[in-house]
Amino acid sequence: MSENSSPQSSKIRISPGQIARLSAGIAVIAWMAWRLYTVLFVEAIYGIDTWTRFAISGLILGGMYALIAIGYTLVYGIMFMINFAHGEVMMIGAFGGYFVFEALRNIPMPTPEDPKLSFLNAQPLLSVLLAFLVGMTIAAIAGYYLERIAYRPLRQAPRLILLITAIGASIFLQNAAMLMFGPQRQTVYNPVLLTRGTGWEIPMGKSVVMLTYTGTFSFVLSILLLIILYLVVQQTRLGRSMRAVAHDKDTAALMGVDVNDTVSKTFIISGLLAGAAGVMWGIHNGLVNHFTGFLPGIKAFTAAVLGGIGNIPGAMLGGLFLGVVEAMGPAALGIDFQLKDVIAFSILVLVLIFRPQGILGEALSEEKL
Amino acid sequence: MSNSIRNGLRAGIIFGIVIIFLFLIGFTLIAPELISKLYQGSEQTKDFNIGLLLPNLVIFMGLLGIWAGITGAKEDEPDTWAKAIVAGLTTGLTTGLLVGITAFIVGTLYQNEVDIRDYLVSLSNENIILFLFNQNALTGALYQFGLMTITSVIGGILAIGVGRASWRKNLAEKIGDSVRQTASMPKVAGTINSKYTRFALLAIIIVISFALPQQWGSYWNYVMGTVGIYVLLGIGLNIIIGWAGQLVLGYVAFFAIGAYTFALLTSPEPHHLEWNFWFAIVLAILAATLSGVLLGLPILSLRGDYLAIVTLGFGEIVRIMIKSDMMTGITNGPRGLRDVGGPTLFGQDFSTDINFMYLIIIAVLLTTFLAYRLQNSRTGRGWIAIREDDTVAQATGVNTFRSKLLSLALGAAIAGLAGALFASRNQFTGPEDHALMVSINVLCIVIVGGMGSIPGMFLGAFVLKGVPEMLREVEIYRLLVFGALLVVMMIIRPEGLWPLQRPRIEKYDEHQKQIPG
Repeated sequence: MSENSSPQSSKIRISPGQIARLSAGIAVIAWMAWRLYTVLFVEAIYGIDTWTRFAISGLILGGMYALIAIGYTLVYGIMFMINFAHGEVMMIGAFGGYFVFEALRNIPMPTPEDPKLSFLNAQPLLSVLLAFLVGMTIAAIAGYYLERIAYRPLRQAPRLILLITAIGASIFLQNAAMLMFGPQRQTVYNPVLLTRGTGWEIPMGKSVVMLTYTGTFSFVLSILLLIILYLVVQQTRLGRSMRAVAHDKDTAALMGVDVNDTVSKTFIISGLLAGAAGVMWGIHNGLVNHFTGFLPGIKAFTAAVLGGIGNIPGAMLGGLFLGVVEAMGPAALGIDFQLKDVIAFSILVLVLIFRPQGILGEALSEEKL
Repeated sequence: MSNSIRNGLRAGIIFGIVIIFLFLIGFTLIAPELISKLYQGSEQTKDFNIGLLLPNLVIFMGLLGIWAGITGAKEDEPDTWAKAIVAGLTTGLTTGLLVGITAFIVGTLYQNEVDIRDYLVSLSNENIILFLFNQNALTGALYQFGLMTITSVIGGILAIGVGRASWRKNLAEKIGDSVRQTASMPKVAGTINSKYTRFALLAIIIVISFALPQQWGSYWNYVMGTVGIYVLLGIGLNIIIGWAGQLVLGYVAFFAIGAYTFALLTSPEPHHLEWNFWFAIVLAILAATLSGVLLGLPILSLRGDYLAIVTLGFGEIVRIMIKSDMMTGITNGPRGLRDVGGPTLFGQDFSTDINFMYLIIIAVLLTTFLAYRLQNSRTGRGWIAIREDDTVAQATGVNTFRSKLLSLALGAAIAGLAGALFASRNQFTGPEDHALMVSINVLCIVIVGGMGSIPGMFLGAFVLKGVPEMLREVEIYRLLVFGALLVVMMIIRPEGLWPLQRPRIEKYDEHQKQIPG
């Protein structure tokens, strides 16, 4: 302990950890800059059309990440825990949407022109609406009971214990889904209106860029939901109590806010958004299985940290940013597309090293830190 | 009375949902098979024998029904028959209704030859036939309804005893007190804590552990070898999580680095190295330690849950990198490495399963010894101080950063050793051996065994790795049970099955009992 024995030295002391972090971070950023320069100016493999394609798919992905990230941020703000099972809530929503589509697909609704028409294609708007309704409701119920059964008995417990509980709940839900619905991926059959791979074709550069219907639909809907959520949190009585509980639980309780009720409602709102993201995932990507929620869940948490945890606009921005980075990153750095998950995690590490409070800053009460 | 009905309804709904869930995951088919294995030994026929399984299903469902009845009735400690029967009946009717309706729906679909397995894979024909008691949909559903109702009423009646059973609790407390008193008597305490008793115990354990592998067949050596490797991993992660309190979720990364370093150095395939086993194992440990230090340097000052997510990411990154096309030239990609070298001793081959068991036992004993020595050392106490409160630990003169880094490096070293042994024993290692689930398994061992407790790691590894190996039928339910176990343990018994002694001693301190209020 000899190097710590001079308490009066007022010089700024840099610990080996800080040095290591800084040098590692600078090295990685320098490498990234070099790769980016090489890919963009020296090799110039991709034209503007390809970049636009990447950006579009990134934004669509990012919209879904943002919806899930909101759930992490809201819960983290209130309970200061990573709700590890949130990705599984999204998976439940995805299965809800899948089953609605499957059920409607099997309801025949023959017309004179097309005797094989099903309800799904006869009433596409109604079907999609129903899928979202069911998926979001089921996910919200799952979120509510998750909190009631697993987290509420541990309200006063240390954070490590809450986190382990959340991991346990995540494993449980994942495996329950696998045992019930099987390990193989199920194909989601959209209404013909939203067939995957069709869309508006926009001429750009040497070729055309496809703006798919499913992608546009997902993106517009996620932005819409995010706006609604923002209004709910900022304008309504429920939002006010949520912000109060996040800021200071005890004082909020003294001011007449029902803390348990607010926490439950927070989980319900998170579940609704995650469920919507799940249904979108099914519509846009077309495959659903028990593992659907896991990686998006972790990525969305990364997004929440990126934007500044506890900060709702931050989570939205973080989600979109992460989606775009993930889609464009492998191409921009000229590396394998298999490594896109590595890029997402590396971004997380870099942000935690250089700006641990996230892009827009954390919004957490002092006592929690 | 209305209270009894309300409690009964609640218990009935919960149990109804649980039974439907068990049906949907196919456990209502597996459980009767397990029961029949209990009293008929291991001589089992592979084919589906409804006559054999039916009574066992009745036993299984009946026990669940009785449990439901007890749960529904015990809430308001029924003292009269009427109350108990009303509560039991409500529970039974609710459960029966839920289960019966499910059975009816599934049965009707089955009879109309709808392919339910497309959507719910566990609803195999056998499962449905058994659940309907080999009857048609309506009769089967009614049977289920009747069975649940009757057994729940029996459970409700049994619950009458619960109110009167408070003396049992008192007795248990009295026994506990007397045991504690005896243990604190100077003579007994002297014997228990004496050096010689410990040495004798240690000698017995060592003799047993060296005698057993000769007696067991190769199957048991395999199972216990796996348990041993997980004991190693448990002890290693216990240093990081249990003592230093740093939640590391990517522990498998060190395991993978150890295994791959070892395999690359001894396997003939990609690089033709085929080095000596002992040299390779040392290098594997060093590589894992180095990776622990390099990972720890930048991230260890992060907040607890950030650390968890970053290390989780690190574990995934290592696996993805090993698998990726970019690294195929070095790591053989998704195919993995074959013919990993076995141990040699003075030029002789040393890799029979018995020898390997010895090797693992020696590794476990050495690591355990190391861990025990560390536990009460200055370093170990520093770790526990950090776990309890980082800031206070720093204020009392613990170099927190260096301590944390040391714990991570040590944990990584042990994981590297375990990885090398694992690769060498299986003569193979591939990226899927190092999935996230290994980290989760080890985390479960640490939690279930008891955070911070070394004997707890042995117990945890045996319960979580050994027992499922023996019950092959329930293999698919293992992770499900792990998840549930984590949640339940955290709620009911967060200190684990074999908790660390230190906090308990403080809790039952005599001085605290005398403080009024």
